[in-house]
Amino acid sequence: MELIGHGGKPLVERVITDKAEAKKKIAGLKTMPASRQMATEAIGIAYGFFSPIEGFQKKADVDATCQKMELADGTIWSIPIVYDVSDKEIADYGIKTGESVLLTYDGNPLAIFDIEEIFTYPKEEIAIKVYGTKEEKHPGVARTYAYKDKFLGGKITLVNEPKVREPFGPYFLTPRQHRAKFAEKNWIKIVAHQTRNVPHSGHEWLMKHAYIAAHGDSPVEQMETMGKAISGVLVNCIVGEKRVGDYIDEAIVLTQDELRKSGYFRDDIHMVTMTFWDMRYAGPREAVHHSIIRTNLGLTHHMFGRDHAGVGTYYHSYQAHHLLMSIPKEKLNITPIYVLEWAYCPHCGEVTCIGLCGHWKELQKFSGTKIRSIIMDEVKPTRLIFRPEVFDVVVDSAKKYGFGSPFVTKDYLEKAKPAFSIAPL
Amino acid sequence: MAETYPINIWINEERFKALQEAGLGNLLKEELAGMKVLIVPCNEQQRDKILKLFPMAKYDAATTKSIELLPKAVKDKIYDMVVKRKTLNVMDEFIKEVEKG
Repeated sequence: MELIGHGGKPLVERVITDKAEAKKKIAGLKTMPASRQMATEAIGIAYGFFSPIEGFQKKADVDATCQKMELADGTIWSIPIVYDVSDKEIADYGIKTGESVLLTYDGNPLAIFDIEEIFTYPKEEIAIKVYGTKEEKHPGVARTYAYKDKFLGGKITLVNEPKVREPFGPYFLTPRQHRAKFAEKNWIKIVAHQTRNVPHSGHEWLMKHAYIAAHGDSPVEQMETMGKAISGVLVNCIVGEKRVGDYIDEAIVLTQDELRKSGYFRDDIHMVTMTFWDMRYAGPREAVHHSIIRTNLGLTHHMFGRDHAGVGTYYHSYQAHHLLMSIPKEKLNITPIYVLEWAYCPHCGEVTCIGLCGHWKELQKFSGTKIRSIIMDEVKPTRLIFRPEVFDVVVDSAKKYGFGSPFVTKDYLEKAKPAFSIAPL
Repeated sequence: MAETYPINIWINEERFKALQEAGLGNLLKEELAGMKVLIVPCNEQQRDKILKLFPMAKYDAATTKSIELLPKAVKDKIYDMVVKRKTLNVMDEFIKEVEKG
């Protein structure tokens, strides 16, 4: 069955699963090693996470993305997906327009890259249009400035599927597999919670808020009966490039899942998966990109909170909401659910939405950084703000996967195995 | 009042008892559903020195308006100094000690 993705276009699936066929297709191709960044994106393209794009963008698409937040054909697109390369690499690997090369990763075949265009594009233009700043201390801008001087554009075909290591294995689903899971669960309305965090109660309530909003116009009986839910929350964790001080990915995925395992969400309304993507911290533009990815996964709703995908003070708290509101509904096939913060109110004695509670002066706001600070101080947070079962998983993940820390350290960056690998074909 | 850039030291049960017994319970504030925190103030100069001495730390200008992600060992030293001096105004002395090595 043809699946429809972002822009109302068929979901892109450019994967050769038959090994004999793959070997035949790559025979005689020149090879070029792909960095982790480029391999991650090639995998995303081939499985359709970035539908409708079928490969690394060509100049017209990069330009339209930067200038108009669209692809050259007018489809909404907010972040350039580019393959950077140096002149030396072009010469060393004999890259020529009109030819195909075999991208390798871990020394093994990964994907066929049809080189349709070799081009340049001013990096400062990408920085200012996508990130709204030229400052190199913005991590997305730093990544942009670190690009080599040329870009290669053209289609990608995956010839060797990634092996996703434990504990991530069960959580990695392709867009097609996501949709199959939703069908199995009879979910009609599915709301995305984008995360790169271990959940505190503020996050938990954001998800509950979004779920209730998404389900709002459906019969309550379908929510009341265990096992009959027609709406669900998909926690889609972003797994990718990490910075020292971030939570380790293992802790993020496993703690999110623990919320359901410990009954804070019912089994039939909550699910955790992950997507490989290096956060660009592009705030509003990244919010649009997340909408595109989740549309491709088959979701109907997407929750957006305060400072979605932002960093530092580059974006206003609700700038992502305003950008999303400016996009005509027919151009983005997912319904945004805008949520305000939830905070602890000592007067109410509960976690509450700051838009509802009248005890403004007493509110104690959650902050991911503050919670990280509590955990670093080795203090167990109170259960109203951090579920004890989730805390136990944080401690366990630190021991099992984080070399003693639930946060990314130099040790973790040097020693942790990558989330995916490519085996010999 | 001049703006401060505090360091939050979160207090567990054991330390809470010790602080109370030492008559320093009044230095604590309660946050987030009953958690106890020692809020050690820094001025702008002290903040900048701390961020330079401990590059893994960051000043969270967006949400908490505090210096966060200092390693526990560093906060433990600040905590010990607060208890010893019975005051929250210890940052000059702490910075001098770190600079001396």
